[in-house]
Amino acid sequence: MSNDTDWLVGAGLALSAIAATAMLQPSPPRRLERKPASLPSRPGPHPRASVRAARRLNRAAGMLAASVLADSSVEHYRGSFKNKAMYTPLAVSALTLAMSAHGTADRRPWAHRLRDGSYLLAAATGLIGTGFHVYNVTRKVGGFSWQNLFYGAPLGAPMAILLSGLLGFCSERVRDTSRAQRPHVFGLPAARTIAAVTAAGLLGTSGEAGLLHFRGAFHNPFMAVPVTLPPVGAALLFKAAARDPGDDKTRRHPLTRAWMWLLAAMGFAGVGFHAYGVSRNMGGWRNWSQNILAGPPLPAPPSFTGLALAGLAALGLMREHPDA
Amino acid sequence: MFVDISDDPQATPRAMAGRAPDVFRPGGWVPMRCHRDDEPVDFVIVGTGAGGGTLACKLAEYGFSVVALDAGPYFRPLEDFASDEAEQTKLYWTDDRITDGANPLQLGSNNSGKAVGGSTVHFAMVSLRLRPEWFKSRTLLGYGADWPIDWREMWTYYEEVEQALKISGPITYPWGPKRPRYPYRAHPLNAAARVLARGCEALGISWTETPLATLSAPRGLAHPCVYRGFCVAGCSTNAKQSALVTWIPRALAAGAEIRDLAMAGRIEVDDDDRVTGVHYHREGRWRFQRARNVVVAGYAIETPRLLLNSATDRHRDGLANSSGLVGKYLMTQSNQAVWGLMDDEIRSYKGPPSLAITEHWNYEDNGKDFFGGYAYMSQGPLPQLWANTLAQARGLWGARLVEEMTNYNHVAGLKIVGEMLPQERNCVTLADEVDQYGLRIPRVTYSWCDNDRRLIDHSLAFMTRALQAAGAKDIWAQEDDTCHLNGTARMGDDPRSSVVDADCRSWDIPNLWICDGSVFPTVGGVNPSLTIQAIACRTADRIHAMARRGELTGSSRRAAQTRTASQMA
Repeated sequence: MSNDTDWLVGAGLALSAIAATAMLQPSPPRRLERKPASLPSRPGPHPRASVRAARRLNRAAGMLAASVLADSSVEHYRGSFKNKAMYTPLAVSALTLAMSAHGTADRRPWAHRLRDGSYLLAAATGLIGTGFHVYNVTRKVGGFSWQNLFYGAPLGAPMAILLSGLLGFCSERVRDTSRAQRPHVFGLPAARTIAAVTAAGLLGTSGEAGLLHFRGAFHNPFMAVPVTLPPVGAALLFKAAARDPGDDKTRRHPLTRAWMWLLAAMGFAGVGFHAYGVSRNMGGWRNWSQNILAGPPLPAPPSFTGLALAGLAALGLMREHPDA
Repeated sequence: MFVDISDDPQATPRAMAGRAPDVFRPGGWVPMRCHRDDEPVDFVIVGTGAGGGTLACKLAEYGFSVVALDAGPYFRPLEDFASDEAEQTKLYWTDDRITDGANPLQLGSNNSGKAVGGSTVHFAMVSLRLRPEWFKSRTLLGYGADWPIDWREMWTYYEEVEQALKISGPITYPWGPKRPRYPYRAHPLNAAARVLARGCEALGISWTETPLATLSAPRGLAHPCVYRGFCVAGCSTNAKQSALVTWIPRALAAGAEIRDLAMAGRIEVDDDDRVTGVHYHREGRWRFQRARNVVVAGYAIETPRLLLNSATDRHRDGLANSSGLVGKYLMTQSNQAVWGLMDDEIRSYKGPPSLAITEHWNYEDNGKDFFGGYAYMSQGPLPQLWANTLAQARGLWGARLVEEMTNYNHVAGLKIVGEMLPQERNCVTLADEVDQYGLRIPRVTYSWCDNDRRLIDHSLAFMTRALQAAGAKDIWAQEDDTCHLNGTARMGDDPRSSVVDADCRSWDIPNLWICDGSVFPTVGGVNPSLTIQAIACRTADRIHAMARRGELTGSSRRAAQTRTASQMA
């Protein structure tokens, strides 16, 4: 491995980490202003709540995109970029990350055409990438076998960029409909739709972690954490999404919110565990350029953080909009 | 960290003065309980490989005092092993031996080991169970001899060993009765393994990932496999779950003493036909370790050699040899191969050498014109071995050899581990020449029988088809290789036709035990290491049970026979 590429991958990892940290910075506290006089008075919550939810969703989408950028950089580098298409998720997730940063900073209550386009591109990349990965697995001898599911292209991985795109797209819809009676996505109540999408994402990501941790024979008991906590979180989110708003006056969902924070923390703790896993390979961190590739993927766990942030955004919107 | 450069494990013993090398930490040591020579220990075990190392661990964990002798050095894999085939021949037993017969065995690499941990230090890690029917191959399949052990009992001991070695294996095994899930997942296939898989799929037979004793995930201080490919030259990362890094550290922790560079020369037996200890050579002089029991675990050549070299006036034919079968029924396994060239790069040396396997012809009895079975596996010869193979099997030399070696990255091969039938004429006897210790050296006599040849011919024809179907070109057969050694002290139900009983206890001397591949009545078509370790675990359990019933001392052969008979009933 040449030193140049080492540095390239190292720099990619570092950039992703910085970007991810930046995404997590809370927005500067702002005093809630009274409605501007120009806006017509109307029932329901203030559109600013929707914009805030939308920005949180941008942040969640960016978190996922950062995870994808770092993960696909390392894994596709490991695969020597054998197929030129393997550069695609790097470019798309970098774009998505930039757009999400833009969206997180943007307080305007309408969708941004470029962001919308890039989120759709991300979603499409996820779908097409899944197709590529399925093709890679099935064309290997043994076909759809444990061997190829373990060691072929990971089937679940492109879903992360799909989710990033979907959440970002939802974010734009929430922004766009912030002046409406209730924020919605394709006519569906936005908060509950996003909660359901996030819950499904949590289940899928947990399944991916389960497959790969099974490959590692759950040799460390902590490897059971990402296959047990997220499904509970998904169930809580589904429950929140299905709850009749009429029965739920406060719509605070304290347990679900706490669980999302737990998952967000788990995603970061996972990086630490994976760093420990890297150290357990021959040569440990002194042999980082080999062991980052051979050991557990450092950038993978924060995708749980991204999804948990999306869950929190949905819950926040739900609290402020009875009909969302 | 300071490492003494005068620390040559092949010249000076390392396990001394209350400490033994810590194989997991460079320069590290672990405490070791030590015994005086004149202090009778419960068990002296000769050999620390798959049989002796396993037994030392289990017996020590059951609370027996154990001293295990090994003629070889106590290596530190993290420091002593080079990525150099020539250097690593230090792991082999290359002392003087004479081979003869119609098909003399080539000794010294894939059938011997001289190190603490024995040949498991450089074995190919293939960890297979015998087919259940093979434990009764005489009765059920009409050839060879029956084992005195039921396969269902072996199944539980196989599981114990698979857990102890954290075997990496497939989720489901295509052949035989259901087995529990392997503790670790299978390794990724290399291109050579995929060639085997494609051949099997084209011919419509099953294949799977080979269950291997090398880690696919971390385990304690042992790192997962880095696919360095030097497995059979000694693993320098401790991924390989050899006796040296599994059973022996456990044995030390449980209070066993390991003595490296300790060559056993003679077992002492008293006038009551009880063994009293072992004469062994260490640090330039002969010493005598007193013991209440002696276990011989030196593998199929050194075990009979030691028993034969221990002859006395009362035991003129050697110890435990009233049946006359010590040294007889030596069995190797056929190890023939077909090789071919693929258009794509294969680089078969990447990763463990045998990542994929088919046991089809172990479990399929139709379509055979021979008794027994064979497995075949993908191959990953290192360059020097490959050059040797080309020179020996095809007579290539000079420019032609160099030219052929340029195809090395495109070579793929399939190689069998085939069952050879037990024949009394295949044997280990003593030659008149003596070795560096003044001990008579073994003469190893081997001839194939017609059944062996038919099995080999069948396998070569089948593997040629498989390799063709996988797309190989320039296919050729390597017709004369053999591997593992077994037999020479077979177990059985009848003292007249076996050397030890099912518990590996010799029929003639109640406190003399034999626990290694020598006790196999038949070999089957799979690598024997897992079975040797399973037998050792069983033997330890039996010894433990007998000790609790007070049967270890003073039991007569008649009592033992009655015991065995009642087990059978």
